[in-house]
Amino acid sequence: MTAVASQDLAAPSSDEPPGGNSRPAVSRTPTWRRLLRRPLAVISLAYLVLLVLAAVFADVVAPYDPADLDLDHVLSGPSAGHLLGTDPLGRDVLSRLIHGGQVSLVNGGVAALTFVMVGVATGLVAGFFGGWTDRVFTWAVDVVIAIPGLIVLLVVLTVFGGNMTVAMAALGILSAPGFARVVRGVTLGVRQELYISAAKVSGLPTRHILLRHVLPRVTGPILVQASLFFGAALLVDAGLAYLGFGVQPPTPTWGGMIIEAASVISQQPWLLVPPGITLALATLSFALLGDAIRDTSAERTGRQSGNARRRSAARRAELPRPAGAPDPAALLSVRGLTVSLPTSGGTADVVADVDLDVRPGETVGLVGESGCGKSITASALLGLLPAGGEIRTGRVQLGDVDLTTAGKSLLRSVRGSRIALISQEPVASLDPVFTAGQQVDELVRRHHGGSRQAVRARTLELLTSVRLRDPESVARRYPHELSGGMAQRVAIAMALAGEPDLLVADEPTTALDVTVQAEILRLLQSIQAERGMAVLLITHDWGVVAQVCQRAYVMYAGHVVESAPVAAMIDQPLHPYSAGLLASMPGRGRPGHHLASIPGTVPAPADWPAGCHFAPRCALATEDCAAPVPLSEPAPGRLSRCVHHDRLIEGATA
Amino acid sequence: MTASGLLEIQDLRVEFAGRRRHDAGVLAADGVSLRIDDAETLGLVGESGSGKSTIGNAVLGLVKPAAGRILFRGQDVTHATTRERRRLGQHIQVVFQDPYSSLNPSRTIGQTLGEQLRLVRGLDRRTTRIHVENVLRQVGMPADTMSRYPAEFSGGQRQRIAIARALVMEPDLVICDEPTSALDLSVQAQILNLLLDLQARLGLGYLFISHDIDVVRHMSHRVAVLLHGRVVEQGPAEGVTRHPDHEYTRTLVAAVPSVDVAAEAPPNGRAPHRNEQGEA
Repeated sequence: MTAVASQDLAAPSSDEPPGGNSRPAVSRTPTWRRLLRRPLAVISLAYLVLLVLAAVFADVVAPYDPADLDLDHVLSGPSAGHLLGTDPLGRDVLSRLIHGGQVSLVNGGVAALTFVMVGVATGLVAGFFGGWTDRVFTWAVDVVIAIPGLIVLLVVLTVFGGNMTVAMAALGILSAPGFARVVRGVTLGVRQELYISAAKVSGLPTRHILLRHVLPRVTGPILVQASLFFGAALLVDAGLAYLGFGVQPPTPTWGGMIIEAASVISQQPWLLVPPGITLALATLSFALLGDAIRDTSAERTGRQSGNARRRSAARRAELPRPAGAPDPAALLSVRGLTVSLPTSGGTADVVADVDLDVRPGETVGLVGESGCGKSITASALLGLLPAGGEIRTGRVQLGDVDLTTAGKSLLRSVRGSRIALISQEPVASLDPVFTAGQQVDELVRRHHGGSRQAVRARTLELLTSVRLRDPESVARRYPHELSGGMAQRVAIAMALAGEPDLLVADEPTTALDVTVQAEILRLLQSIQAERGMAVLLITHDWGVVAQVCQRAYVMYAGHVVESAPVAAMIDQPLHPYSAGLLASMPGRGRPGHHLASIPGTVPAPADWPAGCHFAPRCALATEDCAAPVPLSEPAPGRLSRCVHHDRLIEGATA
Repeated sequence: MTASGLLEIQDLRVEFAGRRRHDAGVLAADGVSLRIDDAETLGLVGESGSGKSTIGNAVLGLVKPAAGRILFRGQDVTHATTRERRRLGQHIQVVFQDPYSSLNPSRTIGQTLGEQLRLVRGLDRRTTRIHVENVLRQVGMPADTMSRYPAEFSGGQRQRIAIARALVMEPDLVICDEPTSALDLSVQAQILNLLLDLQARLGLGYLFISHDIDVVRHMSHRVAVLLHGRVVEQGPAEGVTRHPDHEYTRTLVAAVPSVDVAAEAPPNGRAPHRNEQGEA
C-alpha cells in the first residue's frame, strides 16, 4: 500500500532547497571532549586516574612492600630512600598510600555505584510512571531521609562484622533519596516532551523509551551527583576507618594511616600530611569534576542560537548615505536606523537602514516573518534593546525629541506618557505578585499623582474604557486569574494610563483566540478613534493589517522592503517578498491545491547577502540584485526596495 | 477497505480529573462522533480549550476515553493494550505542533527515525538506513540529515523531519496536531504543500487539527467545528467554512480578519486533486 517507494517527491520547486538552507553546523563536539577543554577538569581527572592506576598496579609501582618493616628508619621524614618518609614501624609511607588506595577507592566506588543505581532506578520510574508509583516513592524517600544515617552505618558494621562493602552499599542507599528526587524532577520534565509522545505512538517499548530517550537527558545530573558523592564517600570511608571499622591493620588504608599518624603526632607531625593531602585532593577533584560536568552539560542542552560566522564589517559599507531628514508632519520619524545585537561570534546588524514614519492618529503596520527585525525595531524605538544591543546609526524622532540621543531621565519621561507598549504575552507582561488594579494604580500615580481614592477612581475609569465588564472585580484579581483577552485589556489600560500619543503594539493578538482577537482589534480601533492616538502595529498576520492599518511597512531580513497604503499593497504588492507572503496565505489559495510559497527560509543576519537580501529566494532575481538596492518610489506614496518591481505588475496581468 | 472507513469515533467522551479529589472533572470531549475515510482529510477546528487536541490524543492512545468507541478499520482500538498499540503504531502516526520539543535533542535524526523500524519491525541496520533515507528524500531533506542533531535545523526543516518520522512506519492515518501553528507564513505554505503532496502520493488519511479556519479549509475535505468538547457542526469544508449553519461557526468565521473582502470562491466546491503544478 503506502510503500516508501524510492521515487523522489522531486522536492517541489516551491520548497525549501534541501541542504542549501540548513544552518551552519552547530558545534557537535561530544560532551566529554568539551569537558577536556576545561583545565580544572583535566587536572582533576588526571589526578583521579593517577590514583586509580597507582592502586591497580600497586604491586609494580610501590617501591616497597607495604608491610616491610625497616626498624632502622622509623618515623623518618621524606628522604631519598623513602620519598614520603616512614611510619612508626619503619614502613614506607608512599607504598602504604598506594596500596591503601585499593581499599579506599573500592569502598568509595561501591558506595557511588549503589547510590547511582538506587537513585536513578527509583527516580526514573517514579518520574516516568507517576501515579501510585510516584506516591510510594515519595513516601519511601521521606522515610529514608528521616533515618539517622551514621547510626544505621554503625549498626550495619556491627551486624556484618565490620564488612566495609556492605556498609558502603548501605551508605549509598541512605544517601540516594535526595539524588532520586533530582532524577525524578528531570524525568517529569522530559516526560512532557512531545518526542516521548511520538515514541509511545510508534509503540516503542517502555524500557527503550526510558533508556534511550529519558536517561540521556538525565545523564548530566547523574554524573555531577555521582562525582560529588564519590568524594563524600571517600571521607566517610576514612572516618569509619578512623573509628576502627573496616579492614584491620596491617593492611593499609587511608583512614588507617591517619589514625596511626594521629597517635604519633607529637613525634612526627609530617605523617599526617601524605594521607591527609591525598584524601583532600581526591575529594576536591571529584567536586571540581562534578562542577565541570554540570557546566558542560548545561552548554549542550542550552539552545544553540544563530551561528558563529559574523561578517557585519562587510555590510557596513552598504548604502553609505547619511540618515535622511525626518518627516516634519510625522509623530514618529525614524531615519537610517541600524541596530546591532551580540551573537555567539561577535555582533551582527539585525536591523539595517530602516526609515519609518507614523503620523498622528495613524495606524501603521510593520509586517514580516520571524527573524526579519520587526520586534527589534520596536524595542529600539522604546529604548528597550536587549543587553548588548546597540543603535549603531540613525535617528528616532518622536515629536521634538530624538530618542537615540536623549538622556535616561528624558527617555523615562517620554516612555509611558508619549509612547507606550503592549506585548504579545499579555499574562506574562503583568507582574504576578500584584493585582491588576495595583499595577494600573502604579502607572496612574506616576503620571498623574493624586490621592489614593483619586488614583483608584482613575484606574477603574481606565479599566472601564477598555470594555471590561466588571472593572472592580478585575482590579482585585491577580494576573493568573485573568483570561488572555482580559489580561490584554488590562495591559492596554496600563498603556493608556499616561495618555500616550503613540502605542506600539507588538503582536498584541497573536497569542489569543480568533474571537478574542477580533474583540481586542475592535477595542484598539475604537480607543484610537476616541483619543486620536497613533498605533504602530507589529504583526505577521495580513488579515490583522488589512483590518486595522492604513499603511504598512514590510520588513525582510532587517530591511524595509516595501511600504504603501494597505489596500494598494494587498491589491498589487511591489516587492516580491510581499507578493510571496500574500500568496502563501492559505485563505487565498485554492483549497486542496498547492499554495504559492517562497522557497527557503529567512537567513540568519550573518548570511545576509551584500545586495538585495531577498535575492537568494527570489524568482525575479538577476545579477542586478547583487548590488545594494535602495528604496525607490515606483508610485506616489509607495516605496519598494526592488529593481524588478515593474515585472511584478506584468506578472499580475499576465 | 471496510464499510466502516479508516477511522470512526463514536460518542467519544474524555474527562480530565479536577485538581482536588472532589472537584468536578473537565469534559474535554463530550459525545464526539467523527469519521475519516482513506485518503481523506477531516479538519478539526476550534479555539483553545475546545478539546480538539484531546480527540487526537485519544486516537493515539495518549489519553484514556471515559466512554465511547474508536474504531480503526472497523476494529475497536479504544482500549488497546501496549502490544496492540505497537501494531497500531504502524498504521496511525502523529505530527505535533512544536517542532522543537517533538524531536529528542540528544539523538541524531537517523536514530530517531530508525528506532521504530529496528525495534518494532525488527529490520536490520542496512534496511533501516535505506528506509530512512527514502523517507527523508520524500519530505525534501538531504540524506546527510541522518547523522545530524535536531539543533542544526530550522523550525520548518524540523517539521519536515517530524513528518518523516510519521511516514517511516508507512501509516494509513496521520494525526496532524496544529502542524504549522509554530511556523512562519512562507514556511507554513511549504509544509502544507508537502502534506498535500504526500496525501496524493501515499493515500494518507489526515485528522487535521488547527485553530486556523483558513488552514483547515485549505487542507480538508470535511470539517468538524468544536466548542467545549462538542461538535457543533460538521460537513464539507467549503460549506461549513463559507456558509456555516451554526451560530458559533458563524462567529468564528466572521472573527477571522480577511485580506480580501471579495473572496473568490472556486465554483466547483472542493475537488481533492493536487499536484497539478507548483507555481512560479
